[in-house]
Amino acid sequence: MKKKFSVLVAVPALILAFSAQAHDEKEHMKTAESPDCAAMSGMDHSKMDMNDPVVMAMMTQCMSTVEHGEEESDAASHAHSHSDHMTGAGKAGESSQ
Amino acid sequence: MVIVLKKGACFKRLLSAVGVIVIGGVAFLYSGLYPVGADDPHYDVTTWALETLRESSIARASLSVDVPPDLSSAERLLKGGADYNDMCAGCHLKPGESESDFTLGLYPSPPNLVAIPRTDADKKSEDQRSFWIIKHGIKASGMPAWAPRHDDERIWNMVAFLKRLPDLTSAQYQIITARGTNKTGHH
Repeated sequence: MKKKFSVLVAVPALILAFSAQAHDEKEHMKTAESPDCAAMSGMDHSKMDMNDPVVMAMMTQCMSTVEHGEEESDAASHAHSHSDHMTGAGKAGESSQ
Repeated sequence: MVIVLKKGACFKRLLSAVGVIVIGGVAFLYSGLYPVGADDPHYDVTTWALETLRESSIARASLSVDVPPDLSSAERLLKGGADYNDMCAGCHLKPGESESDFTLGLYPSPPNLVAIPRTDADKKSEDQRSFWIIKHGIKASGMPAWAPRHDDERIWNMVAFLKRLPDLTSAQYQIITARGTNKTGHH
Protein backbone atom coordinates (compact mmCIF):
# COMPACT_ATOMS: atom_id res chain seq x y z
CA MET A 1 0.00 0.00 0.00
CA LYS A 2 2.82 2.31 0.93
CA LYS A 3 4.60 1.47 -2.34
CA LYS A 4 1.51 2.27 -4.37
CA PHE A 5 1.10 5.56 -2.54
CA SER A 6 4.74 6.55 -3.11
CA VAL A 7 4.41 5.73 -6.82
CA LEU A 8 1.24 7.81 -6.99
CA VAL A 9 3.10 10.74 -5.45
CA ALA A 10 6.42 10.27 -7.25
CA VAL A 11 5.14 9.95 -10.83
CA PRO A 12 3.17 13.23 -10.95
CA ALA A 13 6.03 14.98 -9.09
CA LEU A 14 8.55 13.75 -11.68
CA ILE A 15 6.31 14.76 -14.58
CA LEU A 16 5.92 18.22 -13.05
CA ALA A 17 9.64 18.54 -12.44
CA PHE A 18 10.61 17.57 -16.00
CA SER A 19 8.02 19.85 -17.54
CA ALA A 20 9.38 22.79 -15.55
CA GLN A 21 13.03 22.12 -16.40
CA ALA A 22 13.35 23.77 -19.76
CA HIS A 23 12.86 27.47 -20.24
CA ASP A 24 10.52 27.22 -23.19
CA GLU A 25 11.19 29.59 -26.11
CA LYS A 26 7.43 29.71 -26.66
CA GLU A 27 7.20 31.82 -23.50
CA HIS A 28 8.71 34.65 -25.50
CA MET A 29 6.45 34.27 -28.51
CA LYS A 30 3.68 36.43 -27.03
CA THR A 31 5.86 39.53 -27.31
CA ALA A 32 7.84 38.37 -30.33
CA GLU A 33 8.82 40.94 -32.95
CA SER A 34 8.73 40.18 -36.65
CA PRO A 35 11.98 40.50 -38.62
CA ASP A 36 12.04 43.74 -40.57
CA CYS A 37 12.99 42.12 -43.85
CA ALA A 38 12.24 45.30 -45.78
CA ALA A 39 15.45 46.70 -44.23
CA MET A 40 17.41 44.09 -46.16
CA SER A 41 16.46 45.70 -49.44
CA GLY A 42 18.23 48.88 -48.30
CA MET A 43 21.48 46.99 -47.72
CA ASP A 44 24.23 46.88 -50.31
CA HIS A 45 23.96 43.29 -51.52
CA SER A 46 27.14 43.57 -53.58
CA LYS A 47 29.13 44.02 -50.39
CA MET A 48 27.48 41.07 -48.66
CA ASP A 49 29.52 37.93 -48.21
CA MET A 50 27.02 35.14 -48.76
CA ASN A 51 29.23 32.78 -46.76
CA ASP A 52 29.14 35.05 -43.71
CA PRO A 53 26.97 33.43 -41.01
CA VAL A 54 25.36 36.83 -40.27
CA VAL A 55 24.20 37.17 -43.89
CA MET A 56 23.15 33.52 -43.96
CA ALA A 57 21.13 34.02 -40.76
CA MET A 58 19.40 37.08 -42.20
CA MET A 59 18.65 35.21 -45.42
CA THR A 60 17.14 32.37 -43.39
CA GLN A 61 14.96 34.81 -41.46
CA CYS A 62 13.81 36.58 -44.60
CA MET A 63 13.80 33.61 -46.97
CA SER A 64 10.03 33.46 -47.08
CA THR A 65 9.87 37.18 -47.82
CA VAL A 66 12.29 36.75 -50.70
CA GLU A 67 10.37 33.72 -51.94
CA HIS A 68 7.10 35.53 -51.41
CA GLY A 69 8.49 38.53 -53.29
CA GLU A 70 9.57 36.27 -56.14
CA GLU A 71 6.20 34.54 -56.11
CA GLU A 72 4.49 37.92 -56.17
CA SER A 73 6.63 39.16 -59.03
CA ASP A 74 6.08 35.86 -60.88
CA ALA A 75 2.38 36.10 -60.19
CA ALA A 76 2.36 39.72 -61.27
CA SER A 77 4.19 38.97 -64.53
CA HIS A 78 1.99 35.92 -65.06
CA ALA A 79 -1.10 37.99 -64.38
CA HIS A 80 0.27 40.66 -66.67
CA SER A 81 0.85 38.21 -69.51
CA HIS A 82 -2.45 36.54 -68.71
CA SER A 83 -4.23 39.89 -68.87
CA ASP A 84 -2.40 40.62 -72.12
CA HIS A 85 -3.58 37.27 -73.36
CA MET A 86 -7.08 37.99 -72.12
CA THR A 87 -6.94 41.42 -73.62
CA GLY A 88 -5.71 39.84 -76.79
CA ALA A 89 -8.51 37.28 -76.60
CA GLY A 90 -10.96 40.01 -75.92
CA LYS A 91 -9.70 41.87 -78.85
CA ALA A 92 -9.81 38.69 -80.81
CA GLY A 93 -13.30 38.15 -79.49
CA GLU A 94 -14.18 41.67 -80.36
CA SER A 95 -12.70 41.25 -83.75
CA SER A 96 -14.66 38.04 -84.27
CA GLN A 97 -17.89 39.78 -83.52
CA MET B 1 63.87 31.06 30.18
CA VAL B 2 63.53 34.74 29.36
CA ILE B 3 63.14 33.93 25.69
CA VAL B 4 60.36 31.42 26.47
CA LEU B 5 58.54 34.06 28.56
CA LYS B 6 58.91 36.61 25.79
CA LYS B 7 57.57 34.14 23.24
CA GLY B 8 54.59 33.41 25.50
CA ALA B 9 53.84 37.12 25.97
CA CYS B 10 54.16 37.72 22.26
CA PHE B 11 51.72 34.88 21.50
CA LYS B 12 49.23 36.29 24.04
CA ARG B 13 49.45 39.73 22.46
CA LEU B 14 48.94 38.27 18.97
CA LEU B 15 45.95 36.27 20.21
CA SER B 16 44.49 39.40 21.84
CA ALA B 17 44.97 41.39 18.65
CA VAL B 18 43.23 38.69 16.58
CA GLY B 19 40.41 38.58 19.15
CA VAL B 20 39.96 42.35 19.02
CA ILE B 21 39.91 42.28 15.18
CA VAL B 22 37.32 39.45 15.10
CA ILE B 23 35.09 41.10 17.72
CA GLY B 24 35.48 44.46 15.98
CA GLY B 25 34.61 42.89 12.62
CA VAL B 26 31.49 41.20 14.02
CA ALA B 27 30.47 44.45 15.73
CA PHE B 28 30.90 46.28 12.42
CA LEU B 29 28.72 43.71 10.62
CA TYR B 30 25.90 44.29 13.09
CA SER B 31 26.40 48.07 13.35
CA GLY B 32 24.79 48.80 9.97
CA LEU B 33 27.49 51.35 9.23
CA TYR B 34 28.56 49.80 5.91
CA PRO B 35 26.80 51.51 2.96
CA VAL B 36 25.19 48.84 0.74
CA GLY B 37 23.39 51.18 -1.69
CA ALA B 38 24.08 50.46 -5.36
CA ASP B 39 24.56 54.19 -5.89
CA ASP B 40 27.45 54.33 -3.41
CA PRO B 41 30.51 52.92 -5.22
CA HIS B 42 33.33 50.93 -3.63
CA TYR B 43 36.74 52.40 -2.91
CA ASP B 44 39.13 51.85 -5.81
CA VAL B 45 41.07 49.28 -3.84
CA THR B 46 37.89 47.30 -3.08
CA THR B 47 36.89 47.38 -6.75
CA TRP B 48 40.36 46.19 -7.74
CA ALA B 49 40.25 43.37 -5.18
CA LEU B 50 36.78 42.21 -6.22
CA GLU B 51 37.54 42.36 -9.94
CA THR B 52 40.80 40.50 -9.49
CA LEU B 53 39.02 37.86 -7.42
CA ARG B 54 36.26 37.56 -10.03
CA GLU B 55 38.51 37.31 -13.08
CA SER B 56 40.90 34.85 -11.44
CA SER B 57 38.04 32.67 -10.30
CA ILE B 58 36.33 32.63 -13.71
CA ALA B 59 39.60 31.95 -15.54
CA ARG B 60 40.32 28.98 -13.28
CA ALA B 61 36.79 27.57 -13.29
CA SER B 62 36.29 27.86 -17.05
CA LEU B 63 39.57 26.19 -18.01
CA SER B 64 37.97 22.75 -18.35
CA VAL B 65 35.04 23.91 -20.53
CA ASP B 66 35.03 22.20 -23.95
CA VAL B 67 34.22 24.61 -26.78
CA PRO B 68 32.11 23.14 -29.62
CA PRO B 69 33.63 23.54 -33.10
CA ASP B 70 30.58 25.01 -34.86
CA LEU B 71 30.16 28.30 -32.98
CA SER B 72 30.12 30.31 -36.19
CA SER B 73 27.04 28.61 -37.69
CA ALA B 74 24.08 30.69 -38.84
CA GLU B 75 21.69 28.39 -36.97
CA ARG B 76 23.42 29.12 -33.66
CA LEU B 77 23.35 32.85 -34.41
CA LEU B 78 19.59 32.76 -34.92
CA LYS B 79 18.83 30.72 -31.82
CA GLY B 80 21.30 32.58 -29.62
CA GLY B 81 20.26 35.97 -30.96
CA ALA B 82 16.62 35.50 -30.07
CA ASP B 83 17.55 34.42 -26.54
CA TYR B 84 20.02 37.31 -26.15
CA ASN B 85 17.33 39.79 -27.15
CA ASP B 86 14.84 38.37 -24.66
CA MET B 87 17.16 37.63 -21.75
CA CYS B 88 20.27 39.82 -21.98
CA ALA B 89 19.70 42.98 -24.04
CA GLY B 90 17.97 44.82 -21.18
CA CYS B 91 21.25 44.91 -19.24
CA HIS B 92 23.90 44.34 -21.93
CA LEU B 93 22.25 46.52 -24.60
CA LYS B 94 21.74 46.14 -28.35
CA PRO B 95 23.20 48.04 -31.35
CA GLY B 96 22.09 51.68 -31.31
CA GLU B 97 21.65 51.83 -27.52
CA SER B 98 24.13 53.37 -25.11
CA GLU B 99 22.33 52.94 -21.79
CA SER B 100 19.24 51.52 -20.07
CA ASP B 101 17.75 51.70 -16.60
CA PHE B 102 19.76 48.60 -15.72
CA THR B 103 23.12 49.91 -16.97
CA LEU B 104 22.54 53.13 -15.05
CA GLY B 105 21.22 51.54 -11.87
CA LEU B 106 23.02 48.25 -11.38
CA TYR B 107 26.30 48.14 -9.48
CA PRO B 108 28.62 46.96 -10.81
CA SER B 109 27.23 48.25 -14.11
CA PRO B 110 26.68 45.39 -16.59
CA PRO B 111 29.16 45.54 -19.49
CA ASN B 112 27.92 46.87 -22.82
CA LEU B 113 28.52 43.75 -24.91
CA VAL B 114 27.90 45.63 -28.15
CA ALA B 115 30.81 47.96 -27.49
CA ILE B 116 33.33 45.35 -26.41
CA PRO B 117 35.23 44.33 -29.54
CA ARG B 118 36.44 40.74 -29.58
CA THR B 119 40.20 40.99 -29.82
CA ASP B 120 40.36 37.54 -31.30
CA ALA B 121 37.06 36.04 -32.38
CA ASP B 122 38.47 32.52 -32.23
CA LYS B 123 40.13 32.84 -28.85
CA LYS B 124 39.16 29.73 -26.91
CA SER B 125 39.45 31.29 -23.46
CA GLU B 126 36.98 34.06 -24.39
CA ASP B 127 34.39 31.47 -25.40
CA GLN B 128 35.02 29.40 -22.27
CA ARG B 129 34.67 32.53 -20.13
CA SER B 130 31.43 33.65 -21.81
CA PHE B 131 29.92 30.18 -21.48
CA TRP B 132 30.86 29.84 -17.83
CA ILE B 133 29.49 33.27 -16.89
CA ILE B 134 26.16 32.68 -18.66
CA LYS B 135 25.82 29.22 -17.15
CA HIS B 136 26.86 29.98 -13.58
CA GLY B 137 26.28 33.72 -13.18
CA ILE B 138 28.31 35.95 -10.86
CA LYS B 139 27.55 36.42 -7.17
CA ALA B 140 26.24 39.81 -6.01
CA SER B 141 26.51 41.35 -9.46
CA GLY B 142 23.01 40.99 -10.87
CA MET B 143 24.22 38.36 -13.38
CA PRO B 144 22.04 35.27 -12.92
CA ALA B 145 23.01 31.65 -13.52
CA TRP B 146 21.00 30.54 -16.55
CA ALA B 147 21.85 26.85 -16.11
CA PRO B 148 18.77 25.83 -14.10
CA ARG B 149 16.39 26.20 -17.06
CA HIS B 150 18.76 26.33 -20.06
CA ASP B 151 20.83 23.42 -21.35
CA ASP B 152 24.46 23.77 -22.47
CA GLU B 153 23.55 23.78 -26.14
CA ARG B 154 21.30 26.78 -25.68
CA ILE B 155 24.00 28.62 -23.74
CA TRP B 156 26.53 27.91 -26.50
CA ASN B 157 24.11 29.45 -28.99
CA MET B 158 24.22 32.65 -26.94
CA VAL B 159 28.03 32.51 -26.86
CA ALA B 160 28.00 32.16 -30.66
CA PHE B 161 25.81 35.23 -30.95
CA LEU B 162 28.00 37.26 -28.56
CA LYS B 163 31.00 36.64 -30.82
CA ARG B 164 29.30 38.52 -33.67
CA LEU B 165 27.25 41.04 -31.69
CA PRO B 166 29.79 43.93 -31.86
CA ASP B 167 29.81 43.67 -35.69
CA LEU B 168 26.04 43.95 -36.12
CA THR B 169 24.13 47.03 -37.25
CA SER B 170 20.74 47.82 -35.71
CA ALA B 171 18.96 46.45 -38.80
CA GLN B 172 20.96 43.22 -38.82
CA TYR B 173 20.38 42.79 -35.09
CA GLN B 174 16.62 43.26 -35.49
CA ILE B 175 16.35 40.69 -38.29
CA ILE B 176 18.52 38.07 -36.60
CA THR B 177 16.98 38.34 -33.13
CA ALA B 178 13.31 38.52 -34.13
CA ARG B 179 11.36 35.47 -33.02
CA GLY B 180 8.11 36.33 -34.73
CA THR B 181 6.93 35.58 -38.22
CA ASN B 182 8.00 38.03 -40.90
CA LYS B 183 5.58 40.38 -42.56
CA THR B 184 4.52 37.87 -45.19
CA GLY B 185 3.17 35.71 -42.42
CA HIS B 186 5.86 33.05 -42.73
CA HIS B 187 8.87 32.40 -40.54
